[in-house]
Amino acid sequence: MTTTSPNQIGIETEAGQQKGSVAVALLRITLGVILLATWWGNIGDDFYTADGFKGFLDWLVLSGEEGGNGSSLTFFHDLLDATIVPVAGLAAFGQLIMEGLAGLLLVVGGATRLASLWSMGFFAILFLSYFGGEEWIWTYVLLFMAALTVFLGYGGRQLGLDQIIAKAKGSSFGGLIW
Amino acid sequence: MNNQLTKDDLPGQQKQLTTALWPIAVARMLIGILWLYALRWKLPPSFDGRGETSLREWLELAVEHAAVAPYGELIESLVIPNFAVFAWLVFVAELLTGLSLLTGTLTRAGAALGLALSLNLGIAMLDVPGEWPWSYVMMAMWHLLFVLSAPGQKWGVDAWLTGNGTPSSTVRLLTSTPKD
Repeated sequence: MTTTSPNQIGIETEAGQQKGSVAVALLRITLGVILLATWWGNIGDDFYTADGFKGFLDWLVLSGEEGGNGSSLTFFHDLLDATIVPVAGLAAFGQLIMEGLAGLLLVVGGATRLASLWSMGFFAILFLSYFGGEEWIWTYVLLFMAALTVFLGYGGRQLGLDQIIAKAKGSSFGGLIW
Repeated sequence: MNNQLTKDDLPGQQKQLTTALWPIAVARMLIGILWLYALRWKLPPSFDGRGETSLREWLELAVEHAAVAPYGELIESLVIPNFAVFAWLVFVAELLTGLSLLTGTLTRAGAALGLALSLNLGIAMLDVPGEWPWSYVMMAMWHLLFVLSAPGQKWGVDAWLTGNGTPSSTVRLLTSTPKD
């Protein structure tokens, strides 16, 4: 059982938590804006196509000297090659829908638990994909932690649609949607 | 203690509005490690990159690809000619931010310093090829969250600083401690 008395060592304070939830809403909106901005940029670059996806996977393992990322987790790239490449067109279309939808949901604070859960998986995959290469890997640590915090902190219950939905409908299925 | 509440004592709506501090505390420690890890390529007295892009090279890139012209001019005319002074300032600021966030000591002060550093990095790196500006937006947002919340109250020295007796108003301010 978690106590909420203020000013005790190692104990979550109630006032701190309430301030945190507004801050988590700001984190959620930032995360959503980042997803949407990247999504929009990727559309302009024809990324969400079979060729775009395959090209990205090739670039990940290409060495830094050859202009690639030089990722080092070969087992993970073997896994991506085996699972994504055969269905690259479908995977690209799924990514187009999910990335845009998750960004939108995070910005408006709707179905935030589901959107942040999906984002956690997405950022974890990106972390493993880029690991050991030229890309600044901390970016994906920051993004993953942001999605985790939004998920655990019910990020849509402040400044979000989830606040209204929860009031009208109560909890979602296992709390996994809002 | 009769002034303690449990989460179960809170009204239903309030329970849902509260946020667990532990993921914020984990993020605080990770970002503290990030700042300390970034010191490895700007160590005094030489501040050279030790095989990576050095601080001086980053400053030259910020001038070459300045997104905000006056900022680039400031780096070129003031910072680079006085490199040693500013390199020490950057080193000490990042060291203090990293230690503050990692240990949860005077976290609001450390987070405010980290916010300023993140915004500075964001402006400097905005147009540098290969940099993703959203990384710095995310960093700034995390530090703002640390300023607004009380992440040092969970697994941090701030909890100890404010847990014994009545902390002074300065300690309250620097640790984001709520009033009783």
